[in-house]
Amino acid sequence: MIEVTGLTKRYGDFTAVRDLSFTVRPGEVLGLVGPNGAGKTTTLRSVAGIIPPNAGTVRIAGHDLATDPVAAKRALAFFPDEPRLFEYLTVRQHLAFVARIYGVADHAAIAQPLLDELEIADKADELPGALSRGMKQKLAIACGLLHGPSVMFFDEPLTGLDPLGIRRMKDSILKRARAGATIVLSSHLLHLLEEVCSHVLILKQGEKIADGTLAEVAARFSEGAPDVSLEDVFIRATGGSEK
Amino acid sequence: MNSAMLGALLYLRLTSLKNLVLSRVRRLRQPKYLVGALVGAAYFYFVVFGRAFGRGGRAGAPARVAFVPAGGFMPHDTAPLALALGAFALLVVFVFMWVLPSQKPGLLFSEAETAFLFPAPITRRALIHYKLLSAQFSVLLQSLFFSLVFNGRGLVSGHAFQVLIGWWLILTFVNLHYMGASLTIARLIDRGTSTLRRRAAVLGGIALVVVVTIAWVWRDLRAPAPADLAGADPFARWLLTILDGGLLHWLLLPFKLVLAPFFATGLGPFLIALGPALLLLGALYFWVMRMEASFEEASLAQAEKRATRRAARRAGNYRLGQAAAKARRPPFALADTGRPEFAFLWKNLLSTRAFFDARTWLVGASLIVFGSRLLARMGPAQQGILSGLGVAALILAGYTLAFGPLVARLDLRADLGNADILKTYPLPGWRIVLGELLAPVAILTGIVTLALLLALCAFQPSEHASAWLAPELRATYAVCFAALTPALVALQLLVPNAAAIVFPAWFQAVRTPGGGIDLMGQRLIFVFGQIFIIVLALIPAALTAALLVFVTQWLIGPMLSVIFATVVVLAVIVGELWCGLWWLGGRFERFDLSAELRP
Repeated sequence: MIEVTGLTKRYGDFTAVRDLSFTVRPGEVLGLVGPNGAGKTTTLRSVAGIIPPNAGTVRIAGHDLATDPVAAKRALAFFPDEPRLFEYLTVRQHLAFVARIYGVADHAAIAQPLLDELEIADKADELPGALSRGMKQKLAIACGLLHGPSVMFFDEPLTGLDPLGIRRMKDSILKRARAGATIVLSSHLLHLLEEVCSHVLILKQGEKIADGTLAEVAARFSEGAPDVSLEDVFIRATGGSEK
Repeated sequence: MNSAMLGALLYLRLTSLKNLVLSRVRRLRQPKYLVGALVGAAYFYFVVFGRAFGRGGRAGAPARVAFVPAGGFMPHDTAPLALALGAFALLVVFVFMWVLPSQKPGLLFSEAETAFLFPAPITRRALIHYKLLSAQFSVLLQSLFFSLVFNGRGLVSGHAFQVLIGWWLILTFVNLHYMGASLTIARLIDRGTSTLRRRAAVLGGIALVVVVTIAWVWRDLRAPAPADLAGADPFARWLLTILDGGLLHWLLLPFKLVLAPFFATGLGPFLIALGPALLLLGALYFWVMRMEASFEEASLAQAEKRATRRAARRAGNYRLGQAAAKARRPPFALADTGRPEFAFLWKNLLSTRAFFDARTWLVGASLIVFGSRLLARMGPAQQGILSGLGVAALILAGYTLAFGPLVARLDLRADLGNADILKTYPLPGWRIVLGELLAPVAILTGIVTLALLLALCAFQPSEHASAWLAPELRATYAVCFAALTPALVALQLLVPNAAAIVFPAWFQAVRTPGGGIDLMGQRLIFVFGQIFIIVLALIPAALTAALLVFVTQWLIGPMLSVIFATVVVLAVIVGELWCGLWWLGGRFERFDLSAELRP
């Protein structure tokens, strides 16, 4: 479960995120949407414990991220838009390193099914430099899932993936959500979010415009029109501009 | 190349240069760049130019003689040797230009240049002209810089024209030849000539010259007699005879022609020497322009590689100079559970050379112990060698301890690009910082302890040596120093790592090669800042040690007093280290690289 209350993040005079509150329950997939510069990535990085917010509280799986960061981080996994890998570690060595950091006993028994599921088992002894963009993404996901996180953050998870990769990524996210994980993801690909997310949160200039289930948010901005898409909702909610 | 195209390319180059200068000037409004610029300017004024123009240095000491053209300054008997040695140095540089490229070389274009100019309706010849023109901007700047640094006295004594033209000729000669060699090698590769064959041909040619020269020396001259080696002058005369005769004379002739204006003894000889040098440049220009070789593909690859390196630096990845990425066996088996700091040690050791491991250390230690025993038994001459090795080992230990932490960067600085991921780990900041420091600490400690072992085994003090150099005390010193080494190295590593976290934007800029006088000043500030902080941190420990040894040696004897002092010093340094780790860990937890790099 993720509970965010009054989250504010400033960079000098510029406020990237202002007084943001939301809750995501186990099994829910929240889609963070907004124009460029709306504060999506800053929100994700703040709730994942990467950058400290200026105000507000974040609770991950019941642990306060500010007062008990180690317990909170033990429960989460963050997947950046660009896979961040160690150039000199093979796929297998990445998993061994992450296992030691999280204290995952007998990690090989967990890693092998993960590698099989993500279809990178045959690349286990390759360095990241020898992997394609999609393979790197899969390795980053395997590393993130190794310790069995109950909360997951995906920043633009579909960037750089081919159609097959996008399909598998969506299936993987839905599978984790059905298994009880709490998931937040940000993406500009609205039609894809519609397929994956149960909830949506629209940000503009660091402030929340709307949040709720897809149906709730659609109803609020549909102006009575039936079958409005998330794209239509997004354009109506944000006024069709970044400012 | 038609004039419109030339105008467009000139516009691109001049506008880029103007904007570069303006952006450098504008950033001086930020205090960190202004301070850097002032420090850099002061360094140039007092250290570099001061020496070149005869200022600075110790009061009363003669000013260092700057490297000047022969005109008016260089003794007449020295100028020919300097000319010959300069020509020889240029020959060596040219040989490297033909031997070194392992892949198809291309002309160096930026990514933007490849994107805009390669698809544009510009002939290949026009592109080469553009590169020649572009190179002239940096050649002119370099000529001015070298003249100021090496020939300051020549500049202020009425020889400015000769000095500047002299440097311009040399640098243009090198640049034109580099382009010609690159294009020729590209054409050879296109025609199927392998790198091995090219290298064999060039090195074979060099070997032939060496053999012929030796044969000529053997037949017509003589090997250096003891009289030739008796002093600098006779040796210089003998060397000049070698460089100025036989095959080498003809081989060095074009280089001497280019260098001749620089070494000319007056305006008349300078103008006379200018003609052949310009003719030679013309010939090189003709060669470059006539060369029909496809360089676009290699230029694109080079531009891409440079852009990737630049992006990596901006992202905080400073892995340059480390082992090439290659999958290899881990340095030790990493258990699934245990202290997570050792996972960082394991990871960072994987990014170094494979020989940085415990096995290499053990082999080295065994060789030192058995080798020194063997040498010690052989006789007085070998014992002399052993003593020399001991001195060298002590110097190595000192240098490693002082400068190793500046060079070994397998720590947090190399992982800043992955800071986002590191911060999601369920670890407090100090554990991440400590883990990141372990690899360079282990490597540098390994080197220092091996050097100490060699020094310990090598020195055989005489019977009249001080009681403080008794064998058991020397062993105690070595062990105590070895015990202090990891803490000392870690303390030194903390400073640059703290700089990377506390001043990330500054640190990033400082790590970027080139960049102007302000960045050079910033680098100087960092180096002096590091030295200052380390000295400050070591003063309490050093004073404590001195006081303890002085007081306790009368009570418990020298050996125990040294051990006791070491334990106390270690406690002081570990305490400082702990405070530093705790503070830096907290800073790392609040660290946000993206915020620091916001414009």
